[in-house]
This record gives sequence, C-alpha cells and structure tokens, in this order.
Amino acid sequence: MAGPGVPNRGDRPDLLTAAIFMGFGALGLWLARGLEAGTVAQMGAAYLPRVVCILLIGVGLVIGIAALRRDAVSIEAMRLRPLAVITLAIVGFAFAATHLGFVLAALWLIIAGSLADPGGKWRTVLLLAGGLTAFGALVFVKGLGVQVPLWPV
Amino acid sequence: MTFIDLLLLGFGEAMSPANLGFCLLGALLGTLIGVLPGIGPTATIAVLLPITFFLPPLAGIIMLAGIYYGAQYGGSTTAVLVNLPGEASAVVTTLDGYKMAQQGRAGAALAVAALGSFFAGTVATFGIALAGPMLSQFALSFGPAEYVALMIFGLLAATILASGPVLKAIGMILIGLLLGMVGTDQATGAERLTFGAVELFDGIDFIVIAIGLFGFSEIITNLERSGSEGVTVAPLTRLWPTRQDFRDSWAAVLRGTGIGTLLGLLPGGGATLASFSAYSLEKKVSRHPERFGTGVVEGVAAPEAANNAAAQSSFIPLLTLGIPSNNMMAMMLSAFMIHGITPGPSVLTNQPEIFWGLVASMWIGNLMLVIINLPMIGLWVKLLTVPYRLLYPAILLFCCIGVYSMNNRIFDVILAAGFGLLGYLFRKAKCEPGPLLLGFVLGPLLEANLRRTLLITQGDPSIFVERPISLTMLVATVALLGLMILPAFRKTREAAFQEDEA
Repeated sequence: MAGPGVPNRGDRPDLLTAAIFMGFGALGLWLARGLEAGTVAQMGAAYLPRVVCILLIGVGLVIGIAALRRDAVSIEAMRLRPLAVITLAIVGFAFAATHLGFVLAALWLIIAGSLADPGGKWRTVLLLAGGLTAFGALVFVKGLGVQVPLWPV
Repeated sequence: MTFIDLLLLGFGEAMSPANLGFCLLGALLGTLIGVLPGIGPTATIAVLLPITFFLPPLAGIIMLAGIYYGAQYGGSTTAVLVNLPGEASAVVTTLDGYKMAQQGRAGAALAVAALGSFFAGTVATFGIALAGPMLSQFALSFGPAEYVALMIFGLLAATILASGPVLKAIGMILIGLLLGMVGTDQATGAERLTFGAVELFDGIDFIVIAIGLFGFSEIITNLERSGSEGVTVAPLTRLWPTRQDFRDSWAAVLRGTGIGTLLGLLPGGGATLASFSAYSLEKKVSRHPERFGTGVVEGVAAPEAANNAAAQSSFIPLLTLGIPSNNMMAMMLSAFMIHGITPGPSVLTNQPEIFWGLVASMWIGNLMLVIINLPMIGLWVKLLTVPYRLLYPAILLFCCIGVYSMNNRIFDVILAAGFGLLGYLFRKAKCEPGPLLLGFVLGPLLEANLRRTLLITQGDPSIFVERPISLTMLVATVALLGLMILPAFRKTREAAFQEDEA
C-alpha cells in the first residue's frame, strides 16, 4: 500500500468533517479567550464553552486521523450555481424586504431563485412569481399579520 | 379531576371550531409534504414555527403535531403507489407495499396502512393520556443532577439510535452545544462567542438554525442533484382489503404498535427506527420469512402501525419531562416556548387544557387522516407529478418570510443563509444535522442544570452517582456506549441504515 498523504488515500468527507469540527473548536476557544473560566463549583462564562471546544478538537482529530488511513473517498460533486444563486436570492430578499417592501422582495426571491434551475421557462417563472407573491401577501401579511410593509416606504 | 373529566376537558378544547380547523389543516399539510419527496416534516415545521406565533397557543401546537403524524400517513401513500418513500420512515413500506401495488392490490395496501396507523395512533394517544400524569409525578422528584444525567443519556442515545457514525454525531452535538452558548450567559451576564455583534446578544434564534440547516440547505442540495423524472404510478384497483388480509395483518398491527410506542419513548428513537424494527420483527416472527419482499400484507401493516405509534409517543418525554427526544420534538419544544409554555410537570397541573387538548386533538387528527386519505388518494398522487422547480420557490419564500418575520431583521435572514451554507457543507461531509439541533436546544438547559448541581455540591461530582435516578441514567449511558463497541450490534445497526440509504 502506498504511504499516507498520497492522493489515493484519505476519506475526503471525513477529512472535511474533521476540519469543520476542529475549526469550530478553535474558533470557540479563540472567541472565549478573554472570558473567565471560573472553577468547577462556580462555573464562569467560559468554562463549558472551553470544555466543549476541547472535546470538539479531540473528536475532530480522531476522525481526521482515521480518515487519513482509509482509502480515498471523494466528495459529491459540487455545483456552484444552485449554491450561489439561492444564497444571493435569500440575502437579496432580506435587503429588499427592509427597504423595498414585501412584494418586490418576494418577486426578487422567486425570480432570482428560479435561476438556480437551468430548465425553467420565463413564462412559468413569472406566473409562479406573481402567484406566489399574491398568495404570500394575502396569507402572511394580510391574513396572519406579519409585520412587513407591502410596498416601498 | 378524574381521568374522564380531564379527557372531556381535552376534547372540549380540541373540538372548538378553530382547533378543529387547524387540526385538519395540519393533517392535510402533513399528508401533502409526506407525499412530496424533497420536503419533510422537519423542514415544514421549521418554516411554520414562526407563523404559529400569530396563532393561539393550542391551535399552533395542534397544527404542528398534525403535520408530524400526517406526514407518516402521506409518506406511506407514495411508498406504496410509486415506490418513492416520501418520508424516511416509509422506506420499509416500499419493500412489500409497492410489490402489492404491482399485483393490483394497492388499495388493500393503502387501506391496511391507514387503518393500522389509526389503530396505532389511538393506542399511542391513550398511552400519552395514561403516561402523562404518571411520568409527571415521577418527574417532580427530579433535581438538577437527574436532569443532567437524563440529558446526557438522551443526547447519547440519540446519536446511537440515529444513523451515521456515532463519533460524527457526537461532534455535531458538541457544535450544537457551542451554538447554544452564543449570547449572554445567564448566570454571569457576560456576553460570549458573539463576535461583538449586537444582534447575537440574545443568542441565535432556533428558527434561524432550523430553517437554515433544514430548509435552505435541503433546497440547495436537491437542486444540485435535480432531475424531476416522471413517476410511473401503479394502477389502483381494489380499495378494500380482503378478509384474509385482515386476518393476516391484525397481529402485525399489534406488534408494530407495541414496538412503535416503546421506541418512540426512547430518545433518538422515532418513526424511522420504529418502522425498521417492526419490519425486522415481523420477518423474524413470521412462519414464511422468505415471502417478505414479495408483497406480504404484514410487511406493510407492521411498519405503518409502528411509525404512527412512535410519532405520537415521542411526544411523551417532551410533554411530561420537558425533554425533546429527537429533533422533531426539539421543534415542538420551540413551538411551546414561543407561546411561553415550558412543557414539563408544571404544564399538567397549571395548564391542563393544553396537555389534554393536544392529546384529544391527536386522536381526532388520526381519525381525520383515515377519512381523508382513503378517498383522496388519487389527488395526492397527482400532486407527485408537480415538478420540483415549481415547488422550491414556494418553499424558499415561506422559509424567508418565516425567518424575517421573527424580528424584521436582515441579520437573521443572512445568518440563516449562512447556516444554509453550513448545512450544505455538512451534507458534503456526510454529517447528519439532526444531533446539532438537539444539542442546540438542550445546551442551555444542560449548562444551567450542571451549574446548579455543582454549585450545590461545591464542585463535587459524586452526586451524580449518589442519587439513584441519576445513577441509573449514567449506567444506561455507559451500557449504550458499551453496546456500540460490540461488533454484532454495530453490524445490525449499519445494516438497518444501509437499507435506508439504498
């Protein structure tokens, strides 16, 4: 068997897991660095966070080392388009809802969101956007009383 | 008040027009999302949680509960008709159910599933009614040490009984605990882990995490895989089972109900585990195990009864002890808290109409579901032909409204989007997000009780082994851990989840 570190080794999803876990642990430790840990009897704000972070790093290490020794498993293909489009659509909704009102925000969300799916036809998208926006406005804003202005202030 | 009085109180509450309406709505919605693959009860409840804020407390909870057990009914419909389990708990139903459909016995399969589920639901409702007051009395003797031991047991059991490698699940729980600690520390008033952001002073909102991890990331992942193929539906002929079917299945229904009720109680248990276990049990007990997988009615009756029983009995730990046993229940806990109700022993004494109203509505909901599902099957199946590209914008909109309506803050939505990205990463890393939610919900409780315990004992941890209830929990936890190490147990567990992923 080839030695460790050669490309045909390494369970990638698990390595990613290890990275995530250790990342959170390290981040937590760094964020809590200024806080009082206190004693076991009188736990300060940082006591339990530090314990959890250390455990996280530990678990991450175990998973990572075990993953390095296994044969290579690749990560499912990443397609950037749905990820980027949906995220932008959501963020855009938030800004639009605050400054431009519900109707414009909803229209943005649905039209922009539909771009994530390459097979859509414009007519369907626009009809869907109109219909859903109307539904949302009626049910959520008028019906349930969600506090979002419908039109730009 | 006697038992009968309390039940009548419950039915009185549950039968008010508003509550009946919301029960129906929840049941319908639940069936709908159970039928549709790509959206599950967890995501739906996450989306609808903020909406329930605008509803009266009991109505909102009734609706959410309806969604949960309604989804079990819906999932079995597609499992039988289209070989597509709408819910994870319906995977086992596809094995024999679809075969029965191909033999032209789809109606029989669906009817057996519906009736079996109704029976199981009724039994489980009674279970809650009986167990509730008993367990609450028991819970009154719980001190902080017992709660800590119970939560640790619950968290660990949840990882072991859930799918995926235990170590990863433990890591997810730890991340959840960490996220739960963001914000102002209750005991010391210090703000921690907030990056200095004012918006995080009150901690991260449950909805933000739930919608981000389960709603947004689900949509992104589904779109990645995409491809809404046409579904071929098996023909629907006999609606009613034959007398032979009834004879074959009644014992299976009983066994399934028993397993379901039991497994629903366990932390981490739930509908999926229950349906798998019931199927395995039926196979073991049957005189013709080799016939399983060819269209045996017991193979449909048992898992269907089990998943319904489990869905309802998983409410028991939440309603009586205030501890959610899986992430669905974590959502329900949030729903209660949104209305200022802390589930636990106090609810039964101070607000009995909430508990008994919910119990009564569960039975009513089951009844509604049997009545709805059998005639409306054709409609549900037509819905399956709706392509995902029309569905996901609607889901996206509901998610966004849900998160934004909490505080009218851009920050919340952006944070939810961030959790969506995180959820996407988790899926790539093959980590289950469920335990994270559990850890998040239980984290603050765990910390508070741990602090209290150690404060009382001035740092001496031996209290955990001195008090009998706590000791029992810890022994059970160690036993579970020990089980995990045994190779035989691990093989069975992996085998069960292989079928799930297949």
